[in-house]
Amino acid sequence: METVEALVAHIQGLSGNPDEVSHLHSLLKQSEETLRLQVSRLAPFIKELDPAIHSLGYLYLLDAYSSGPISGEHISSFHGYFVGFINSCSIEQIRLVSEKFISLCKRYKDQVIQQHVPIQAVVPLRTAIRKIQSSSEQLTSLHPDFILVCLLSKYYKAAISILDDDVFEIDQPKDFFLYCYYGGMIYIGLKQFPKALECLHNVVTAPMSAINSIAVEAYKKYVLVSLTHLGQISTFPKYTSSTAQRNLRNFAQPYVDLANCYSNGKFSELEEFIQANLEKFQADNNLGLVKQVLSSLYKRNIQRLTQTYLTLSLQDIADTVQLSTSKDAELRVLQMIQDGDIFASINQKDGMVSFHEDPEQYKTCKMIEHVDSSIQRMMALSKKLTEIEEHISCDPAYLSKIGRERPRFDFDDFDSVPHKFLNGGEGNGFLLLDSSAQF
Amino acid sequence: MEADDDAAFFTMSDEAMILNGVDELEGQQLPTSHGGKAAMRGEQMDVEAYAALYTGRTKVSRLIFIADQCGNQSMQLEALRMAHDEIKKGEDSHLYRLVEQKIDGRLGPKYAFDQTWVDSIERRAEQRKEKLENELNGYKTNLIKESIRMGYNDLGDFYYAHSQLGDAFKNYVRTRDYCTTSKHIIQMCLNVILVSIELGQFMHVSNYVSKAEQTPDSLDPITVAKLRCAAGLAHLEGRRYKLAARKFLETGFELSSNYMEVIAPQDVATYGGLCALASFDRMELKNKVIDNINFRNFLELVPEVRELINDFYASRYASCLDYLENLKPNLLLDIHLHEHVETLYDEIRHKAIIQYTHPFISVDLPTMASAFKTSVTGLQKELEALITENQIQARIDSHNKILYARHADQRNTTFQRVLQTGIEFEKEVRSMLLRSNLIKHEHNQRASRKQ
Amino acid sequence: MMDFSQLKDALASRSFDLVAEICDELMLQVASRGINFQQEWPYAIHLLGHIYINDLNSARFLWKSIPDGIKESRQEVVAAWKIGQCLWNRDFAGVYRAISAFEWSQEALDLVNAFRESYTKRTFELLVSAYSTINVTDAALFLGMSEDDAINYAVQHGWRLDSAAGMLEVVKPKVISEQKLDSSKLQRLTEYVFHLEH
Repeated sequence: METVEALVAHIQGLSGNPDEVSHLHSLLKQSEETLRLQVSRLAPFIKELDPAIHSLGYLYLLDAYSSGPISGEHISSFHGYFVGFINSCSIEQIRLVSEKFISLCKRYKDQVIQQHVPIQAVVPLRTAIRKIQSSSEQLTSLHPDFILVCLLSKYYKAAISILDDDVFEIDQPKDFFLYCYYGGMIYIGLKQFPKALECLHNVVTAPMSAINSIAVEAYKKYVLVSLTHLGQISTFPKYTSSTAQRNLRNFAQPYVDLANCYSNGKFSELEEFIQANLEKFQADNNLGLVKQVLSSLYKRNIQRLTQTYLTLSLQDIADTVQLSTSKDAELRVLQMIQDGDIFASINQKDGMVSFHEDPEQYKTCKMIEHVDSSIQRMMALSKKLTEIEEHISCDPAYLSKIGRERPRFDFDDFDSVPHKFLNGGEGNGFLLLDSSAQF
Repeated sequence: MEADDDAAFFTMSDEAMILNGVDELEGQQLPTSHGGKAAMRGEQMDVEAYAALYTGRTKVSRLIFIADQCGNQSMQLEALRMAHDEIKKGEDSHLYRLVEQKIDGRLGPKYAFDQTWVDSIERRAEQRKEKLENELNGYKTNLIKESIRMGYNDLGDFYYAHSQLGDAFKNYVRTRDYCTTSKHIIQMCLNVILVSIELGQFMHVSNYVSKAEQTPDSLDPITVAKLRCAAGLAHLEGRRYKLAARKFLETGFELSSNYMEVIAPQDVATYGGLCALASFDRMELKNKVIDNINFRNFLELVPEVRELINDFYASRYASCLDYLENLKPNLLLDIHLHEHVETLYDEIRHKAIIQYTHPFISVDLPTMASAFKTSVTGLQKELEALITENQIQARIDSHNKILYARHADQRNTTFQRVLQTGIEFEKEVRSMLLRSNLIKHEHNQRASRKQ
Repeated sequence: MMDFSQLKDALASRSFDLVAEICDELMLQVASRGINFQQEWPYAIHLLGHIYINDLNSARFLWKSIPDGIKESRQEVVAAWKIGQCLWNRDFAGVYRAISAFEWSQEALDLVNAFRESYTKRTFELLVSAYSTINVTDAALFLGMSEDDAINYAVQHGWRLDSAAGMLEVVKPKVISEQKLDSSKLQRLTEYVFHLEH
C-alpha cells in the first residue's frame, strides 16, 4: 500500500502523455482505499496539484476528499477546488473516469442545494456537461441536475443553452425522464409552450414497462399546457407504451376531467370545476398552470369567433365569452392582437371589432429564408434517420431477433395442417423459439 | 273519425269517461308527455287508419307505443282500446295483462279485465306447448330432419304468439341446422328477423339479412323487398342514416302490404325520404330519390314527404320546413322513427342552411332568417355553429348583418400547411429517434442482466 | 471582487439592450465562485435591463430570487419591479404612472427614460395594428401623454382627428418588404429537387 505522498508523486510524474495517464489510472484505482483512509490529510496535497495538468489525479483526490461528511469550514474550500477543477480540467483525462467525474459533480450539486445556494452550481455544471459529453447529442446524467439547479435558482433562461440541443444518445432512461420533465418546467416558466409540450410529450410517450411518478406528473402538466396552448388534448399516439395508455389517465383524473370541462367552452363551468378541485391542483403545484388554462379559454373562445365573424360588437364578444363588460372584451382582444394570436382591428367609434385574415403572404425574403432553413433542417434530419435505419438493419442483435421471430409469423401458413400434428414435437419446438425470442 | 269516437265514448255512459273525454281533449296532458304539445299544432294522428296498416304483434306494440307517448288522454284510450281488441283476437295473455293495466278501468266494463278468458287461453297454451314439445322429442328420436325443423319452427311460432320472444328466437335459430333448402333458410331468417325487430336486437337483424341474401338461389322480389326494409331498420336504429336511406330507397314496390307484421310502405317513404334528406348531397338526392321511379311509388303514398323533398330540392325552404313541422307530432309517435326525429330534423335543417348559402358570395341575414322561420340572432347562432364545424365556408358581418363567402387563398394555405407539416415531421422524427434509443438501451440492459 | 466594468460601459454607451445579458452572466459567474453577492448586486438595473428588452419572464424570476431583506430596504428595486408588474398585467397607463412615481437614481434614470421612450413607440405601433378608431382619452393613456400631446403625436404619424366625436382615426402606413430573390435560391432549389430524387 502506497502513501499519499508517493501517490501524489506518481500523479505529478505520470500526467504527461496518454500512456502515462493510463498507467496512472491503474495505480489510482488500486489506491482508492488509501485515499479514503487519509481524507483528513488530503487538503494540502490537492493544493500541490494543477487541475489542468493532473486532472485525473486531482479528480481522485477531490473525490476522496469529499466522499465523507465535510465539516463547515471545508465546504467552501471544496467548492473552490471543485470550480477551479471544472474550469481547467483536461477533457481527455476526465473522460477516462466519467462515472467518477459525474458522481463528484452530483456530490457538489447536492451540497449546493442543501445550502440553499443552487445558483452557485449553474455555471460549473454547465461547464461540466460540455466537458464530459462526447457530443451535444449525448444526454449525460448531469443534464437533469443542471436543469434542476436552474429551476431552483430561478435562472430559467440559463437552462436554454443546454435544453436547445437535440439529444439523441441516452445513457440512463431515468435521466431522460427527469431531464424532459424539468425541461418542460423551464419552458413552461418561460412560456415557450410548444417546446414544453415536446419535452413532456417525450416523457409521456417514452417506452416504460411500469408506471413511474415522473411520467404521472409530466402527464398532468402535459394536459394543462396542451389545453393552454392548443385548447385540447390529443389522444395518445400509437407508439405510447401500453402501460402509459392504460394508467396515466387514472392517475390524473382531475386533469382529464378538466380537459373535458374545457372542451365545453363555458367559462363559468370551468371556473366552477377548478374551484371545486382547487386543493388537488394546489397539492400538485399546478395551480398557476391551471389558472393559465382558465384564462386561455377566453382566448380560445374569441379565436373561434374570428373564424366565424368578419365583424362583431364588443358587447357580443363579451356576452359570448362571458366577460363582464365590453371594455374587458376590448382589452382581451387588444392583448391577443399584441400576442399575434389574432388579426383584428378595434373600432371604438362603433364598438365593433373587425377580424382579418393572417396578412402573411409568404412572399417576403424573410419568409423564403425561413422556409429554406426549415427544408435544410428536414433534410439533415431525414439523412440522420436513414443512417440510423441502416445502422439498425445491420445490427446483429436486431437481425437475430427478426430471424428468430420469423417462425411465429409463418405459423399461419400451417393452419391447414391438423392441429394434433402441431401439438406434438413441432409444437414444443415452436414454444421454445417463442420464449427465447423475448429479450 | 273524431266524431265517431265521441259517439263511441258517449254510449259507454261512463261518467268519468265523459269528463276526461273529448271536451277536455285540449287540456288533458300527461305530465311526462313531450309529443303531446306538438300533436295539437299539426293534424291529429288518425290512429285507426294508422293501425290498419299493420298486423300482428307490431300493430299492438305500435298502439301501445302511441298510448305511452301521445300525452293526450282521448288518443291514448283509443289506442289502448284498439290494442285490446287486437289482442283479444289472439292468445297472448302477457300483452293482454299489459294493456289491461294501462287501461286501468278507464274504458268501462266491456274492457275490464277478463279473468275467465285469461285462464282459458293460458290453459290451452300450456297444453299446446306440451304437445309441441312432445312432438319435437318424437321427431328427434326418429331423426327426421324436416320434422325436427318444423317442430322447432312451430315452437318458435308458439312462443312468439305468447310474447316469449327470447324462447321464440332460440327455437327459430335452432331450425337452422335442419334447413335443407334455400327456402327453409329464408324462412328461418325472416322469422329470426321478425323476432329480433320486436326484441330491438338490430345486430341480429343485420346478421340474418345478410345470411338470407347469401343463399344461392335467387330470391323472389317480395322477399328481397322485406330484407331491404329490415336492413334499413337496422341501420336506422344504429344511426347510420345514409345506409338506412339507401336500403329503403332500394326497396321494391312489390313490398306492398306483404310485410304488415313489420312495416308499411308508407313507412318506407317516410323513413327513406327523411334519412335521405338528412344525409345525401344534392346530386344523390336528385339521382337516388327524386329520379328514382321505384321510390316515387312509395312517395305517392305520403304526399307530404314527396312535397317536402321537392321543396328542399327546389330551395323552397320555408315550405319544406312547414311540412316537416306538421309531420313532426306524428313521427314522434312512430315506434322506430321516434328517437331519430330530432337528429334527422337538425341534420335536414343544417343541410338546408348550407345549401342556401352555397351559391352566394354574400347573403342578407334578415332575408335568410325569414326563409328559415327564425330571428336574425337565432340564425346567426346556427350559422356560427356550422362555420365552426367547417360546414359552411363563410364569415358573418354582424355589424351589417351579411354573410360573406370565404375563399381561402390556395397559395397561402399551402404554405401554411407545408410549414406546419414540417414542424410536425421534425418533432415526430426527433421523438422517434429518442424512443428508439431508449428501447435500445432497455434491450442492452436486459441482455447484460441475462448474462 | 465583482467587476462591473462591462456593465458600466454598456450603460455609458447607452447599449441598454445588452444590460440584461451582462448582468445575467456576471451574476452566474460571481455566484459560482461562492461570493455572497446579493447585498451589492445592482438589482434595479438588472430588472430594468430585462424590462427594457421586454423579457418579463426573466424579470419576474429575478424578482422572485431577490432576498426579502433587499426588497424591503431598497426602494428602487421595488419601483423597478412595479413597472414590470404593470407590463405583466398589460396596464398601459400604470406603466407610465410607475415610471413617474419614483425618483430614479442617476444610474437608473437613463435606462428608465430610454425604456419609456421605446415603450411609447411600441405601444403606438400596437395601436396602429389594433385599432381603426380610438378615442382621444384612451390614446393619451396608452401613450402616456396629455390629450393634446397625444393628438399631436398621432396626427404627426398620419392619423386623422374627428374633434366632434373626440375620436382619432387610425391610418396604417404601407409596409414594404423585400420580395426579390437572388439566383442562389434557384441553386438551392435545384439541390432540393436532387435530394428528393435520390
